[in-house]
Amino acid sequence: MSRGDRLRTRLTTIGRRLRRIGRIARWEIGQSTNSYNRRTLAVVAVLVVLVGSVGASAVALGVASPAPNTDIYRVGVAADSPYNAVIEDNAALTARTPSRSALATGEIDLLVGGVRQPTAGPGPRSPTLLVEAADGEKGAAALTAFRSAVQSYNDRAMALEANQTAAYPVIVELQYLPQSTLGPAAPTNAGNLTDGTDGSEGDADEDTDTEPDANDTANGTSGSSDGDTAGSGDSTAGTDDADGDAPPVADGGGGSLLDRALFGGGTSGSPAEIQPPFPFGSLLLAFLFLVPMNFVIQSYGSSVLNERISRRGELLLVAPVERLDIVAGKTLPYAAIAVAVTAVIAAAVGGGLLSVAAVVPIALTFLAATFLGAMFARSFKELTFVTITITVFLTSYVFIPSIFTNVTPIALISPLTLVVMELQGEAVSLGSYLFSTGPFYTSTAVLFLLGTGVYREEDMFSQKPVPLKFLDALDARLSGVRSVGVLTALFLPLVFIAELLAIAVLFVLPIEVSIPLLLVVIAAVEEVAKSIHIFAGFESDRFDRSASTALVLGAASGVGFFVAEKFTVVAQLVGLPDLQLGQAALQPAGIGITPSTTLLLLAGPLVLHTVTAGVSALGARKRLRWYLVSLVAATAIHAAYNLGVVTLYG
Amino acid sequence: MADRDLRDRWHAIADRFSDPRLTIAGREIRVLGREKTILLAVVIQLFVAAFAGFLVVGLVSLYDPGSVEGYQIDAAVTGDATNEMLAAIEDRPAIDGTRYETTSEAYADFQDGAVNTVFQTTRSDGRIEVVMTAPDGSIETTLVVSEGQEALRALERNLRAERAGSLANPPLPLPPDTGGNPYYDFTYTILLPLLVFLPVFISGSITVDSLTAESEQGTLELLRVAPVTMVDIVDGKSAAMIAIAPIQAVAWLGLLSLNGVAVANVAPLAVLVAAVTAIVVALGVAVSLLAPDRRSSQLLFSVGVLLFFGGATLLPGGPANTAARLAIDSTTPLTWLSVLVYVVVGVGAIAAVRRLAEQINPNDL
Repeated sequence: MSRGDRLRTRLTTIGRRLRRIGRIARWEIGQSTNSYNRRTLAVVAVLVVLVGSVGASAVALGVASPAPNTDIYRVGVAADSPYNAVIEDNAALTARTPSRSALATGEIDLLVGGVRQPTAGPGPRSPTLLVEAADGEKGAAALTAFRSAVQSYNDRAMALEANQTAAYPVIVELQYLPQSTLGPAAPTNAGNLTDGTDGSEGDADEDTDTEPDANDTANGTSGSSDGDTAGSGDSTAGTDDADGDAPPVADGGGGSLLDRALFGGGTSGSPAEIQPPFPFGSLLLAFLFLVPMNFVIQSYGSSVLNERISRRGELLLVAPVERLDIVAGKTLPYAAIAVAVTAVIAAAVGGGLLSVAAVVPIALTFLAATFLGAMFARSFKELTFVTITITVFLTSYVFIPSIFTNVTPIALISPLTLVVMELQGEAVSLGSYLFSTGPFYTSTAVLFLLGTGVYREEDMFSQKPVPLKFLDALDARLSGVRSVGVLTALFLPLVFIAELLAIAVLFVLPIEVSIPLLLVVIAAVEEVAKSIHIFAGFESDRFDRSASTALVLGAASGVGFFVAEKFTVVAQLVGLPDLQLGQAALQPAGIGITPSTTLLLLAGPLVLHTVTAGVSALGARKRLRWYLVSLVAATAIHAAYNLGVVTLYG
Repeated sequence: MADRDLRDRWHAIADRFSDPRLTIAGREIRVLGREKTILLAVVIQLFVAAFAGFLVVGLVSLYDPGSVEGYQIDAAVTGDATNEMLAAIEDRPAIDGTRYETTSEAYADFQDGAVNTVFQTTRSDGRIEVVMTAPDGSIETTLVVSEGQEALRALERNLRAERAGSLANPPLPLPPDTGGNPYYDFTYTILLPLLVFLPVFISGSITVDSLTAESEQGTLELLRVAPVTMVDIVDGKSAAMIAIAPIQAVAWLGLLSLNGVAVANVAPLAVLVAAVTAIVVALGVAVSLLAPDRRSSQLLFSVGVLLFFGGATLLPGGPANTAARLAIDSTTPLTWLSVLVYVVVGVGAIAAVRRLAEQINPNDL
């Protein structure tokens, strides 16, 4: 009886809370739609229609030039040359009257000459077009662009040939095999040229996406300006399928899931259809999914900040509702909009449930970061910058992995990779899903946790610089020694994200500079994560400023970090094979989440983390300057340790 | 006494030359500096620049073998079409082909890392089938695949040339591959427009925030007693915002030049940025004067800017393409005409919002 009663009470409480959240959500919707009154929406509609009609008429009149590289390379070519058709099909090229003096003065970049037939000796076995390029990088780049334009033009022409055997004399099957490892010394899927129709639709789409950008824009304009090629599609794959005599276009029957998903493009067909792993498609997708989120977070941030500036939030705070419910209610409508928009886009690009499930955590992180930013910002101007910062950083975070496509495991860090996998008709394991979206879910939780901590009168309606608000938010989450360790552990996903960003940004530098610098940056990020809340606790006099307290807190923080780090390792070892790859990829970079078999190596990080956290905690007792000094010292110790590990085991 | 006279006279002179609009503009810029927001903006732009630089360097080194000094791919060629394949590989300086008599030997060497790729060739009903093997998940994978693809395309070209008689339209001869940078235009057409137009967007956004903050906090009511008009405020605020965008843009161009990217027509580019900023800032002023509150203004502004850039991009001489063509030195009369149009529209837009500001009663905002 008592158990049943308790359950019933529990359910009633949950029901009541849900109703409250719902009421706040409705209130939020009502408020927002009020503020976006009919006139505003009408103006937006008029603007959209106006620009849409201008754009449509530009397209209809054939003067539209959406490619940003329109006509950047000027090619001198005779008016009766067959190459005029090539140049017309390619947006980046434009035809000029051929003149040697124009080439010398830089008025044209290329001068098309005659054709040299193949000779018996060494050299190409097919005729070559003689082209003179202007001196300098631009001339060379123009020649490369022109060459690739002729190639695409030929590919399109070949698709229309009646004799497909002569048009496609070579059929390629591309396979990926690991090198220098134990395993079968024979190809696993040689000659597996089957499976012609299945999934080729998705493949064709992907092909056009993954084309290098010069070709991409060329295809775009040829579609709009040229009627007859548009019908046959940009990729030759479409026509091949229709034609009975076509070369077998297989979907690459073998290879690992990751290979096929991340290495985009086709793995068999004519040589033109082989796609080097190129992430252009995922870059485009990232933009498509992220643009509307910008609007959602702008509106959301305004709503939160408005509550603070107009002090309307005070009324909510005195209502008999929990803070978490208020925040949940306020966030719910925006999260719902984000999910709906994502679903619409996913449907538009041909994705399904998985795409939505992959992008939603990104949207939630956007909202969580905006919520925290709006809780910290002093003015709308500041909020604008916070919003832009969030957009830029999150967008690059989901972009960067796509560039690491050939280092396969890293690509899975971005949930957008899952979208690409789904678009190609691949199944995604639960492990991969958790791996790529896990950091996003946990970051969302941590950011909302910090935000709701300062969702209280003394913080909401006071004007303080952002750093002080940040310290307040951290302090609000502290209670005792154990909370310090817990908070450190919660920071881990954020640390993970920061370290990956550091890798990407430092990648440009030469390796002699980037590796040591990376080790230092990673050490610094981890040290800050372990000590910033201890500093916040001391600043608000939550802890007494004795050395022993500092050491205890430092130890707690170090242990918390160690445990969280090891927990991720355990999670990786428990049957998530994809993740081991990711771990192997991260290991040389010194991120060091190494599951070691020897006790010494297991104890090493624990000692390191507690010692360095203790050092910075000692400094955090005093003023900011001392904190910074001790932070530098802790970072130095940590970096030295990392360097030692890398030189020993790298 | 004399000291005081001097000071009075100085004040008199200063009063004569000072303009409330300049004061407002100066204050606006000082506030930006004090709030550190502009610093954050510059950090964001630096981040974008670093990220884009990373993209460019990454793309070029990963996808263009020519940029990797002395990188040589060793290929093993086996099967019955070995001669044709080796002849095609000869055209590609970055690949060295070696004949292997048996397939298993070739794969054994691949496993040991002695060769980077294997071409296993078979003849079947008039075609050559090639199984190309590339290393899995290694840093060279992309390089090997794209270079191998070039070799295969050379093979395809050679065979098509042989069979030209059976083709209705034989393929056009290709120019030679001189190893030019295929991502050369990326810097000019994507990165550079992104860098020079980001400050434009930031300026417009600050204008909206700054004006709506005044109206929401009710400070515009003080205009009744202050010796400035609504037009002065609009002038001052927009002048400050229009001034900072080209400065940032030119700074980016300088940074690009330091990185070895030659940028032509810097002065016209600055004019273009200033003109586009004027248009965007005018849009910002207009929405903050007309929209009922800040959220609506920001929404209208974002949608408006997006539509402006989207719509202008569809037209010939869109801002991104105009900037790219100026910077890469491929200008035509149309490019100069576009710059002129942007200047005229910018001046017109500013004049229009000044008229709007004259008609608006600040107390109604």
